[in-house]
Amino acid sequence: MSFIKLQNVTKHYLNDADCVAALQDVTNSIDEGCFLGIMGPSGSGKSTLLSVLGGLTHPTSGQVIIDNIDIYQLTAEKLADFRREYLGFIFQSHNLIPYLSARENVLLPLAVANISAAEKLHLAEAILERVGLADRRLHLPHQLSGGEQERVAIARALVNQPPLLMADEPTGSLDSETSQQIMTLLSDLNRDGQTIVMVTHNSDNQKWFDQTIMLKDGQLIEKSVRADRYSKAM
Amino acid sequence: MRLEHIVFHHLKRCKGRAAFLVIGLLIGVSTVVTMLSLSDALGRKAQHELENFGANIVITPHNDQLELSYGGIQLGGVNLVSKEISETSLGKIDSIPNRRNVAAIAPKVLGVIQAGGRDVMLMGVDPGVEFNLKRWWSIDGRPVAQGRELVAGALVAQSLGLKLGDQLMIQNQQFEIVGVLSKTGSQDDQLLISPLQTAQNLLTKPGVVSLVEIAALCHDCPVDDMVKQLQTVLPDADVQAVQQVVKTRMHALDQFRLFAWGVAVTVILIGALLVFVTMMGSISERTREIGIYRAIGYRRSHVLRLILVEAGIVSAIAGVSGYLVGVLATVCGLPLLEGGHASWQWDPLLAAGAVIAAIIVGLLAAIQPALRASRLDPSEALRAL
Repeated sequence: MSFIKLQNVTKHYLNDADCVAALQDVTNSIDEGCFLGIMGPSGSGKSTLLSVLGGLTHPTSGQVIIDNIDIYQLTAEKLADFRREYLGFIFQSHNLIPYLSARENVLLPLAVANISAAEKLHLAEAILERVGLADRRLHLPHQLSGGEQERVAIARALVNQPPLLMADEPTGSLDSETSQQIMTLLSDLNRDGQTIVMVTHNSDNQKWFDQTIMLKDGQLIEKSVRADRYSKAM
Repeated sequence: MRLEHIVFHHLKRCKGRAAFLVIGLLIGVSTVVTMLSLSDALGRKAQHELENFGANIVITPHNDQLELSYGGIQLGGVNLVSKEISETSLGKIDSIPNRRNVAAIAPKVLGVIQAGGRDVMLMGVDPGVEFNLKRWWSIDGRPVAQGRELVAGALVAQSLGLKLGDQLMIQNQQFEIVGVLSKTGSQDDQLLISPLQTAQNLLTKPGVVSLVEIAALCHDCPVDDMVKQLQTVLPDADVQAVQQVVKTRMHALDQFRLFAWGVAVTVILIGALLVFVTMMGSISERTREIGIYRAIGYRRSHVLRLILVEAGIVSAIAGVSGYLVGVLATVCGLPLLEGGHASWQWDPLLAAGAVIAAIIVGLLAAIQPALRASRLDPSEALRAL
């Protein structure tokens, strides 16, 4: 049973009088526990697809079904609840809140959760430990390196234990060594059962993905599944 | 961690903006507090001074005849007073609902006596009340205190050649002139003034009075209501408000208050505009941040709360500090305006009102920016995605 289903997803943007097709009739399905890579050249519609998958951009037509929920049939507030409960976002430029410490940034998704302060703190500390930032938890973002900021962003995306992690070019602004560390971290998470959808333009990252889809001019032109994907968990 | 923590951290980080907002509202609130405190203090002082001009309610024996005099000029007719007012009935004044507004009750008995070979008007008064009420009386000597003492009006003293310490024979009784009034330009210049009981004995009117003047403390007191209440308890007397004094007093105070409120509302509107513009600027700067909140699952109501709690905190700080600055300005300003005669009084209603009004104005001004923030499309706000 597919965890994510994209059915004929089309997204048009109105640019002045012109209608730009960012996505055209994209159909795909992703299993639970899969590490999906979305690749393609600049302007191919990768980020738009991630945005549509993440419940942030309504498609012009088509359906996005995650865990049997047609997410764009939800009201705006229910869709916000869905994002909070199902999705974790890692943004291209980390997008940490500059005046909050690493731990407070990680706590952000829990600020509106109905759990005790002690439990929130425990979850945040645990995930910071997991990404190797326990000793940097009280630092502000500008006091952290790019790789550390990225790991804070990953911790924030994971703190509410979402079934699906969405990452938009998480290694885009990092050097190769730090990129390797981040990809290893994501791969470890995936090995533990975390479903991940990641946008990247770097073909070197393809080796980490179970499934890769290639976009060009908003169309899905290629789909590949790694041969050893089903032996990964062993 | 709760949403409020984010607000506190944001305020801590953006101290400059927060200070700007606080100062903007503070100026508004302090101006309002200063204007209202000043108007209140000056109003009370004016009230006090006006009350020193004397009575504002007069009780006279019931009389069906129209008075045929104006400005002291008699135009004929005989003013026959059918009956006097019983002194004992004055106790009923204490039973009216607005008795707390009664500052002084000044009974008088009037009559004509022979003194120094001439007819002179004698007025018996309660010395403790009367001389306190008629603050404008300037006495050479002292007020009457006991039985056989008199204070002479300026014209009477001149006409009878009386001066301080002179003895005057009335009905074979010797009286001492203990005081001479300076000229007042009123009927008081033509009076001999004695203690009430002395006059009642001389005029053979024991236990009655000719008229009663009442000074009502009229800071918002309903004089017309008091007149009706007095008329009810004293059905055999005519009770009249000295309308001109009362209405002039009220009009002057109302004008001052109106002016103060006009300034207050204008300044508050400017403060609200400042909050609105600053919050709109803040929302524009925080578009990306709000996009993050929305992307990680904050509802519109959560974003709305973030903005409104921040506006509420800033407004509350501005309200409290604005009130304190306003009080300080009032305390410092009063001596300059009134030479230290008017005083500031703690008004809990104004204090609470200033803080609550600041919060309401701050929240109202922040509603539109907050709604705008809550309606931001997360993907549009983020752009990174």
